[in-house]
Amino acid sequence: MQRFRDVVILLIEDDAGDQRLIEKSLCNEKILNELVTVNNAENALQYLQRCQDSDKESPRPDLILLDLNMPGMGGKEFLKHIKNNPELNDIPVVVLTTSDSEQDVLESYKLQAAGYIKKPVTLQGFQQMMSDMEEYWFVVCKRVVQRQPS
Amino acid sequence: MQNLKNVVVLIVEDDPIDQKSIERAFSNQEVIDKVNVVASAEEALDYLRRSKEQDSDAPRPSLILLDLALPGMQGKEFLKCIKEDERLCSIPVVILTCSDNQEDIEQSYKLYAAGYAQKPLNAAELDNIVKKLVKYWFTTSSLL
Repeated sequence: MQRFRDVVILLIEDDAGDQRLIEKSLCNEKILNELVTVNNAENALQYLQRCQDSDKESPRPDLILLDLNMPGMGGKEFLKHIKNNPELNDIPVVVLTTSDSEQDVLESYKLQAAGYIKKPVTLQGFQQMMSDMEEYWFVVCKRVVQRQPS
Repeated sequence: MQNLKNVVVLIVEDDPIDQKSIERAFSNQEVIDKVNVVASAEEALDYLRRSKEQDSDAPRPSLILLDLALPGMQGKEFLKCIKEDERLCSIPVVILTCSDNQEDIEQSYKLYAAGYAQKPLNAAELDNIVKKLVKYWFTTSSLL
């Protein structure tokens, strides 16, 4: 019998303060979430490789939240990588960044980001953003159901 | 912020009853300036061709809402077409369909759908879905 998982979100964010704000915002949410945080794109790729290898400790994310400006591999390069991988390209990736440059918005959507969110500046702003995002992705939208590794 | 610009939504839906209820639900949202409805993927492609030619009667949509089961070209084929077009691929396409078949969901996301919602059974639920969808795309997210 197929077993269903809770919602898993992978957050790729190098800024410790923003990590904390997002974690704190999720605590208030009704939707049962598991937030996995990694500090850079390289660690995210390693995490996703473990998911593909069916590592029980690395559940496949239902949604990826991606910062654009990171040390090492940039967010757009990571997005391109994921969307070109047939094993991973069905995972929605939402860009969450301080940049509101029109060029970044355009390039992110061309690389098939499923949303482009400018980071709020307050905890309340983060809470509202996480709430709206979760209502859309996990209440309005259907997600791909994954089987639990046995 | 998106709501400083003209916000246009293109709805691709063949069922006249669904067309009316979806159009009404979107028209109720303050941030939306214009809702354009077409009844087939072919009509949608024609609309988007005109929008590329800067036809003022076919303003470029910020978001496309797409039914999957259509007469003629199917929703998924249309989605593939849009995502392969360099000038259109940046427009998010959200699926709104009767099907909750896992294969449809997975294939749509693999074709880069930016969401997959199932059509609800009543108008109040549809209003609620559209409200949340509009809030996510036009208030929380930035669009082009």
